[in-house]
Amino acid sequence: MTAEPWHLNTAVWQRYAAGELDAVAEASVETHLTSCAVCRSSAPETIESTEVAILWEGVATAIARPRPTRIGRVATRVGLPDDDLVVVRASTALYLPWVISVSAALVCAALAAVLPEPHGSSSFVVIAPLIPVLAVAAAYDTTDPLRELVAPTPLSKLRIALLRASVALAAAVPVTLAVGLLLPGLGGLAFAWLLPSLALTLASLLLLTRLTAPMATATVAGGWVVGVLAITGDEAPVALGSTAVQSTFLGVAVVLCLLLWLRTSSTRLQGGY
Amino acid sequence: MTRSEVAGPTRQIAVLQGVSKTFRRTPALHPVDLAMTPGVVGLLGPNGAGKTTMLRLLATAIPPTSGRIHVAGYHVTGSMADRVAARRRLGYLPQEVVFPRGMTAFGFLDYIAVLKEWKRTDQRHREVRRVLQLVHLDDQSTKRVSALSGGQRRRLAIAQALMGDPQLVILDEPTTGLDPEQRASLRGILSGLARTGTVLLATHQTEDVAALCDRVVVLDAGRVRFDGTVAELIELARGQVYVGAQEVPGAFSSWRTGTGLVRSVGGTPGADAQPVEPSVEDAYLLLRMQQTHPAGAT
Repeated sequence: MTAEPWHLNTAVWQRYAAGELDAVAEASVETHLTSCAVCRSSAPETIESTEVAILWEGVATAIARPRPTRIGRVATRVGLPDDDLVVVRASTALYLPWVISVSAALVCAALAAVLPEPHGSSSFVVIAPLIPVLAVAAAYDTTDPLRELVAPTPLSKLRIALLRASVALAAAVPVTLAVGLLLPGLGGLAFAWLLPSLALTLASLLLLTRLTAPMATATVAGGWVVGVLAITGDEAPVALGSTAVQSTFLGVAVVLCLLLWLRTSSTRLQGGY
Repeated sequence: MTRSEVAGPTRQIAVLQGVSKTFRRTPALHPVDLAMTPGVVGLLGPNGAGKTTMLRLLATAIPPTSGRIHVAGYHVTGSMADRVAARRRLGYLPQEVVFPRGMTAFGFLDYIAVLKEWKRTDQRHREVRRVLQLVHLDDQSTKRVSALSGGQRRRLAIAQALMGDPQLVILDEPTTGLDPEQRASLRGILSGLARTGTVLLATHQTEDVAALCDRVVVLDAGRVRFDGTVAELIELARGQVYVGAQEVPGAFSSWRTGTGLVRSVGGTPGADAQPVEPSVEDAYLLLRMQQTHPAGAT
């Protein structure tokens, strides 16, 4: 038995054209249109031709664009810029550099915990949060199959690197935390570098919405160095590994995420050429 | 050179001034001076001649060892700001594009569009769909790139270079893997772009040069050996291409054609050899052979 064919009536057409349908009804109309030639041909009778063209553009794009992941849908709902999400999605679709990035962040954390020296000095603390970010950038720089295409594009490479680093670090932090809890021998320093690294990366991204890339990174790096030097000498590594400081960095990362969202959702730049 | 001089009445889209490139003490490109106005410029030369190096330099993918490069009036070797401004006005197709496995055709172009600073989602998606239609891949947009044929992937790679109607389009062997119909379609697209901008294409397909290019630059061993129009290149071979029953003695190159007669380039013709209209390929072969065998020996 086959179902009776049905068609969109004028009222539904007009509500669809006016964007008055809810998401489920809208999706139902679009799905129906892809398979019903009768309704497609009836569209010009009920809606202005320019509106039809715009509608079709939207339908075709909705079908063609990749389906966002669950995390992507949440990120879109909270208002993260779509172009940043595209970069993140493409970066995680580049499997090899993505796996290397997350692994590199984990290895950096583990090495910092296992090696007896030089992580006892404050100079190491100054550069330690940079290491996972550099590892992520290096992973993409050497293994991204699209690097020849990416290089001559105008989007800030620093911004791309920071976006990738923040996502790789966000993925590495819970894994490192779990490993640290399962293997107590690693100690608190196992993940001591990742949260500051994540916080500094997010701070750089936030400043990039107002400052040039060199100024943003210089400000963040300067702030970090001053902060480490404020904690005198060899106490810096110990202090950094303490639960209180780590919790502070986690809080700072969350606040920075919030600020970044507020900043990017209120300053949408015009695109194109 | 100021920006107004470069982008002045003559509208020089791309300018190379004494540009050279050396890779680990091996010179890939000796100092070159070239200025390109709107139109299609064909870059011919054997493998290793420096074609790809020149294209990568103009695309700002690599810095030159010496010299100055201007694109769309911006001094790309001068400052980062100028380099970024120039990048907004160029499209680049590398010789080989290795696509990520998981991306769809639309997703790939959407990513490249973001990298080209198309921030507004609706405008960006419209542009992605426009270039997909331009290369006749609009019905393949949801397919994963790994499921596309070689020719379709090449067209997808070309599509990303055409995004935003750039003033300078740099294409490294664009027609590789395309069938004759697709090549004809691409020629139509490129000739349209060349009305307002410069299309620079490196190729081994001399028929593409004959069909499309206003100007030909022949590179060999990192040096410019010829720079002129297609007609001027062909003129080099006039009276030196013959067809006959036998190979012309001393010919640089000869082969039996589909008619059963032997086509010879260069040499001293016998009584049965008839001079014929040379092609771009004949002229290119003659130019190459004269450089590698100045005495005329095969």
